[in-house]
Amino acid sequence: MRPSKLQSIYLSLLLAFICILLPWAGFSLKLRPDFLLLVIIFWLIRAPNFCNIGTAWFAGLFMDLATGGTFGQYALAYTVTAFFAVMYQRRLVLYSGTQQLFYVFLLLIISQVTLLILKIFGGAQLSGWIYFLPSVTGVLLWRIAVLFGLNTGGRARGS
Amino acid sequence: MARGFNHKLEQQQAPAFFVRGPSAFARLVFFSALSLALIATDSRLQVLTSVRQTLVGILHPLQIVANAPSQFYNSTAEYFTTHHHLLNENQRLKQQALKQDIALQRLNTLALENDHLRQLLEANKALVESSILGEIMHVGRDPFTKKVIVNRGEVHQIVAGEAVVDATGVIGQVTRTYPRSSEVTLITDKSLAIPIQVERNGLRAIAFGHGRDNTLDLPYLPANVDIRRGDTLVTSGIDGIYPVGLAVATVSHIETTPDSPFARIICVPTGGVENHRQVLLVSIPQTESPTSTATNHAKPSGSSTNKIKTDPIKKPTQQTPEKPQASLQDKQHAPE
Repeated sequence: MRPSKLQSIYLSLLLAFICILLPWAGFSLKLRPDFLLLVIIFWLIRAPNFCNIGTAWFAGLFMDLATGGTFGQYALAYTVTAFFAVMYQRRLVLYSGTQQLFYVFLLLIISQVTLLILKIFGGAQLSGWIYFLPSVTGVLLWRIAVLFGLNTGGRARGS
Repeated sequence: MARGFNHKLEQQQAPAFFVRGPSAFARLVFFSALSLALIATDSRLQVLTSVRQTLVGILHPLQIVANAPSQFYNSTAEYFTTHHHLLNENQRLKQQALKQDIALQRLNTLALENDHLRQLLEANKALVESSILGEIMHVGRDPFTKKVIVNRGEVHQIVAGEAVVDATGVIGQVTRTYPRSSEVTLITDKSLAIPIQVERNGLRAIAFGHGRDNTLDLPYLPANVDIRRGDTLVTSGIDGIYPVGLAVATVSHIETTPDSPFARIICVPTGGVENHRQVLLVSIPQTESPTSTATNHAKPSGSSTNKIKTDPIKKPTQQTPEKPQASLQDKQHAPE
């Protein structure tokens, strides 16, 4: 693995954020994967010395700004997710592609469940299983990125 | 065995192989506490609104960058519309303009007549609201609230609370203003309520957004309420926020169940809540001048309340002798 540069980390985070700012509407909004969280998970696995829980927290704050919800909701969700990613970072690098995919899916679900709990506390109503669609599309996006040659470290066992 | 071995290893506390600063758990606790504190302050206090406004102002250029591709697509699509389509549209708009001209002529005479009658009655002049044309930049990012972001903000004198309408009816209300944009909560959002009146019989009620579907609810109306399918609901204007008489919704479904004292009434918004790009932001009616009259009234009433407050303190000595007299008089009268 090449050592990652700080600029590339921030540039990719910015790009992911712009992807979120794109004018999504209707059903595509419900499908929209959480680009920012995916990029954060990628860097948490790849360069944990640069991108850590603090970075995830800051990114979460920006998501709070973008969605216009209560400050701190996304920040908390990203923090919790980043914690689980960092906890198993050394194992994640060694996982095979499919195992890694499964774990990334779990991480996305963790962030969504945290958000859902916070939103229910805030008085939102449940909206069925469709709520978890972004995790599915997110993990698909991860798979596509790996297919296009993104090195997520999951090649240790030749996947 | 393995567990015991691990346990021994942990007890030894070997120096970390990788230097990573504070442990992940410490970071988790710190940042979770920070975000929980943020959630609490943002939901309970108004401190963070200015912070949010400035930050969104900083993010505005990013937003423009993100909107650029779709706007480019829209403008090119407009450029390549066919001659036939444009002609058709032109024809339609001309007809519409003609119809509206005729209606407007009648409206002018009616408005003059109305003004005159109001003068005769010495009533307040009817409200004339100013409005600003805005364009929807994008739909709110949270798929589970019904919000849109409009490209007019504090720079354009937009205030939170203004009604947002399109050509066919009310679509929502400005709930948050940023420097160059503002957040509009649509009438179909669960958190928005709008005072309405049934056009046919003047019945007043409050319509609530349903949240999930693009419909409105009219809750807490008795089962025998005089509302029929197809009734038009217009703004009643008694809230002092929405102008009077704007179309809001039409009743699409009424259901009375024997086990509930209330009717279940579902309405469909008349405004193109999800279709149009151009919207009008109508300023809050000011001729009633709730603030100025309120302060004018408040001052004298405030002083009078002060008097009332001071009087009992000053007068008790003077009043106490009077009271027995009065009671005596009463007693004297009583036997008669």
